[in-house]
Amino acid sequence: MGMLRIISNRGDERRLWNEQDALAGDVEALAALREAERIFARERARGATAFRVEPGKPVERLEQFDAQVSQIVMVPRVVGG
Amino acid sequence: MNMATLVGVLIVVLLPLLPWVFISGSYHKRPGAKRRAGELLRAVLTAEQYVQLIRQGYIDIPSPSDPERVYRVPRSPGQVQVREKGQLTQWLCLQPFEWVPDADLVVIHKLMIEADEETYLQKANSITPIAVSLFNGPV
Repeated sequence: MGMLRIISNRGDERRLWNEQDALAGDVEALAALREAERIFARERARGATAFRVEPGKPVERLEQFDAQVSQIVMVPRVVGG
Repeated sequence: MNMATLVGVLIVVLLPLLPWVFISGSYHKRPGAKRRAGELLRAVLTAEQYVQLIRQGYIDIPSPSDPERVYRVPRSPGQVQVREKGQLTQWLCLQPFEWVPDADLVVIHKLMIEADEETYLQKANSITPIAVSLFNGPV
């Protein structure tokens, strides 16, 4: 299972997908995966930054959506205060 | 003043404030947002960082590029301290374009420092203390 978490003024929005089921041709799983990809692209276009956050691994910046990552956190555009 | 006049006055006074309410994000400050932000914070911080945040009110994030530098991120909104060899050297100020819950601010600082320190430093405004000794105690 993968989870996309988008930080916003509503807390974080979450989208889940199951890559294995999507690869097996499950229509709903495929739709969930496509939706996560779409939201990822939309938020990147808005200036958000994506990070791969997985237990026991260093945090890494993600430039492209990766369905194999178990958790992606998207941070909204930031400015100097 | 009759009712129609009162309503008219209220519309004239309140209508210009409406966009500000939406832009500032206060319209979206829902209780659920803080709860979800707390859950994300717990999921992103290491156990040691979470304990430090609860006990001390901040987390120390080691710089990935400089072993002698630590970023001290407060639990509540405020400036991030840059500490080198244990001494405060500057403050950094960085915030999201839109309002987010306090816990999400901590997550944002942590992720950016650990995974993209260079961009973090480029975007943050820095303030160097004039009298560093005042903040670091007697030498």
